[in-house]
Amino acid sequence: MTPAPPVVRAPDVFDRWGEALADKVNPIIVKEVRQGLRTRVFWVFFSLMLVACLFISLGFFGTAEVGTTSGEAAFISFFVCLGGVQFFVIPYSAYRSMARETEEETWVLLTLTGLGPRRILSGKLGSSVLQGSLYASAAAPFLLFSYYLNGIDLPTIVVGVVAAVAYQVFLVSVSISVATLAESRIVRAMLHFVVLGLLLFGVSTGIGLSSGLAEMARRMLASGTFWLVTSAVVLGLVSTAVLLFETAAARLSLATEEYARGPRLAFVTQVTGLFGYFLWGWTMGTDADVLVVGAVVCAAYLLFAGVMLMTDRDGMSRSHWVDGARWSLLKPGALRGYTCVVLAVVVVGGLFIGLAERTSLGVQERLVVLASPAFVLLYLGASNVIARWVPRLANQTPAVVRLTFLALVVVGCGLPPLAGQIISEPDDLVLNALNPLMGLVNIGKNGLEGTPFVAFVWAAARVATTWAFVSLRRLDVEPRA
Amino acid sequence: MSLLSVKNLTRSYGSLQAVKDVSFECEAGQILGFIGPNGAGKSTTMRIIATLDVPSGGDVLLDGESVVARPDQARPLIGYMPDRYGTYEDMTVFEFLDFFARAYQLRGAERKARVDSVMEFTGLAALQHKLTSALSKGMKQRVALGRTLLHDPKLLILDEPADGLDPRARIELRELLRALAQQGKAVLISSHILTELAEIIDTCAIIEQGQLLATGTVQDVLAKTAGVSSSVEVEARVLPSAVNDALAKKIERLLLEQPQVSAPSVSGELVRFTLGLAPGSAATAEWSQQASVRVLRALVAAEVPVVSFTSREHDLEDAFMSVTRGRVQ
Repeated sequence: MTPAPPVVRAPDVFDRWGEALADKVNPIIVKEVRQGLRTRVFWVFFSLMLVACLFISLGFFGTAEVGTTSGEAAFISFFVCLGGVQFFVIPYSAYRSMARETEEETWVLLTLTGLGPRRILSGKLGSSVLQGSLYASAAAPFLLFSYYLNGIDLPTIVVGVVAAVAYQVFLVSVSISVATLAESRIVRAMLHFVVLGLLLFGVSTGIGLSSGLAEMARRMLASGTFWLVTSAVVLGLVSTAVLLFETAAARLSLATEEYARGPRLAFVTQVTGLFGYFLWGWTMGTDADVLVVGAVVCAAYLLFAGVMLMTDRDGMSRSHWVDGARWSLLKPGALRGYTCVVLAVVVVGGLFIGLAERTSLGVQERLVVLASPAFVLLYLGASNVIARWVPRLANQTPAVVRLTFLALVVVGCGLPPLAGQIISEPDDLVLNALNPLMGLVNIGKNGLEGTPFVAFVWAAARVATTWAFVSLRRLDVEPRA
Repeated sequence: MSLLSVKNLTRSYGSLQAVKDVSFECEAGQILGFIGPNGAGKSTTMRIIATLDVPSGGDVLLDGESVVARPDQARPLIGYMPDRYGTYEDMTVFEFLDFFARAYQLRGAERKARVDSVMEFTGLAALQHKLTSALSKGMKQRVALGRTLLHDPKLLILDEPADGLDPRARIELRELLRALAQQGKAVLISSHILTELAEIIDTCAIIEQGQLLATGTVQDVLAKTAGVSSSVEVEARVLPSAVNDALAKKIERLLLEQPQVSAPSVSGELVRFTLGLAPGSAATAEWSQQASVRVLRALVAAEVPVVSFTSREHDLEDAFMSVTRGRVQ
C-alpha cells in the first residue's frame, strides 16, 4: 500500500501577504529572522526578560502605596532588563553572525549574487532592529506600568526607549564593523574579547545614561546646554555609525569594486558636519577654552579615524589607475586614502588655527591648537613609512600599518615619561617633544618656551608626511619593475 | 568565439608572482580541467575569472566582454563554487537555496520553480527539510553546486569540488557535471584527483608555479607529453596455482637478462617491471609494443605460466608528472 501524500494546507491571505512582504524586503533579513527564531539564545533571553520584568512589576505592585512615587525606580529596573538584551545580547549576536559570514567566506558568495556589501550589512542591521523591536514591544507594557507608579512622565519614557533603539543601532554598527576586521584566526580571537569588552562598556554606559535621564529628566530637559550637548552626541553617534557601516561595507567589497567611495565620503561629511556644528555651538559663547578642547578632540578623532581610512593593500591605486579619474580621492588605494586624511587634517587644523588667531587666546593655548594637527600628521606618516619596512605580503599591509600605528602611539606616549623618570623628570620637555599627550601638556604649560618644540613637531611631521607620500607612490602607484 | 578566453593573465602579490602570463580558452558545453599542485596558481586564476580579484596584467573575456573591466556584467553569467562549501549550518537545504535565490533577485513563483528544479537536478528534493549541518560531505557539496546553478549561469567555476568526497559521491558529481556540460554550460574544474578528472574533462590546462605548462584537448596533451617519457611500466600475472619461490626467482632472473628491463619485482602472482630507454630518448608507442612483445615471448619460451600481460597506458597523471617538476612557490 502506498503511503498517503502529506496534507498541504492551501496558502491563506496572511501567507500570501507574508510571502509578498518577504519578496520585497532584504533577503538577509528573511534569512536572519529564520535563523534567529530557531536559536536557543533568542527564546532563552526573551523568556528571561519577560520573567524578570514580571517579577519586578509584581514587587513594585505589592509595595506601592497611595502617594508614593516609585515609577522612576521601576523604569530603571525594567530598563536594566531591556538594556541587557538590547545593548549586549543583540549586538553580540550580530557580531557572531557577521563573524561567521567572514570566517566561512559566505559574504563572497553573497556579493557574487549582486546583493552588495551595503545590503548585506543593512540586512544584519535591519534584523537586529527587528529583534530589538520584538524585545522592546514585550517590555513596553512594563515600561508603561512604571508611569502609573508616578515619579516619571511619559515623554521621559518615550525619549528613553527611542534613545535605547538608537544606541542599540550604534552598538550593532560597532559590532558588525569589528567583525569585518579579522583577517586571521588569532586576530579574530583577539577581536572577540575586544567586542565583549566594548559591549560590556556599552551596556553599563547605556543603562547609566538612561538612569541619569530618569533621575534628572525634568532639570535636564529644560536646559539649553543639555540639548546642545545631547544633539552633538547624537550627531557624533549617528555619523560614527554611518562611518563604521561604510568602512565595514568597504571591507566586504571585492577588490574589483570602487569600495573606498563610501567611507571617504562619510568621513569628509562627518568631519565637515561636526566642525560646522562645533563652530555653531562655539559662536554662541566663544569660550576660548572650548576652542582648545575642540582642536585637541578633533585632532585625536582625526588620528584614530584617519588610520582606518588611509590603510589599504599596496597596489590598489595602481589597479584602479587605468580607467580615468586617477587623482580622485574617492577611488581605492592607500595613497589616495592617505592624501584624503592629510587634507582633512590640514583643513580642520587650519580652521582651528584661524579661529585661535581671531580670539583672545593666550600663547600657550594658541601653541596647543597649532601643535595638535602636527602630531596627527607625524604619527600617521610615520606609521605608513615604518610599516612598509616590515617584510610582508602586500595584502597584509592594512593590518601592519594599523599595528605599527598602535605600537607607535603606545611607545610615543609611554616611553618618554619612563625614560624621563630615570634621567630627569617624567615630563621632561626634550624627551617628551614628540609625545602626543605629554608633549601637548608641556606646550600648554610652558608658553613661549614651547615654541621651538612646536616647530620641531611640525618639522618631524613634514618629514614623515613627505616620506610617506614618496613610499606610497612607489609601492601603490608606480608600475612594477 | 570561445565562451571563456583567458589572455596573458598575471597576478603578483608584492614580489611573489602567483600567476604568470596564463592564456587558455574554454567553449560552451566543454569541461576544462585545471590541473596543478598546491600553490600553483589555480585558485588565484579561478578567483580572477570569478571577478573576486583583479589581475596585475592581462584580461579575461567572458562571452566577449572583459570581466576585469565590467565585473557586474560578468557575475550573472558565472557560477562559482569555492573549495570551501560555505553552507549556513543552521538552515535547511530548502531555506539555503531559497535564500540565495532571493539574493539573485528571483521572486515569487519564478523563485520557487527555480529552487525546485535545482533540487530535482541535484537530487536534493528528498532532503529539502534537513539542516545542512546534518548532511554528509557529498550532500553538502551538492547543495553548494545547487547554489551555483540557481541563476542559470553559462560558466561554472568549481574549485576542488571532489576534494574529500567518497567514491560514490565522486561518481555522482561526475554524472552531474556531464549533464551540465550537455546543457551547454562551460565548466572550469580544478582537482588533485587526476584519474577522476581524466574521465570527465574534454580539455585541460596544466599549471605550475603560476605558469601554464600544457593546454589543449586531453588527447593533444597526452600525445604531446607521451613522447617525453623514456620508460613504460609493465604488469603481468602468472597462474596463481603455479606460484612458488623457485618460479619467482626464475622470472626475476629471466627479466634481468632481457635488454632494457629494469626494476623487476615478483609479489605472489603479480610481476612488475620497467622497460626503459637511455635518458633523453623518447619511448614511442611502437617501441614500447615491440619491447613488450619481446619480453612476453621470452617468458612464454621459458614456460612461465603468464595469464595476463599489460603495459600501462600513458594517462593524465603521466602527462602531469612529465611536464611538472614538483616546484612550489
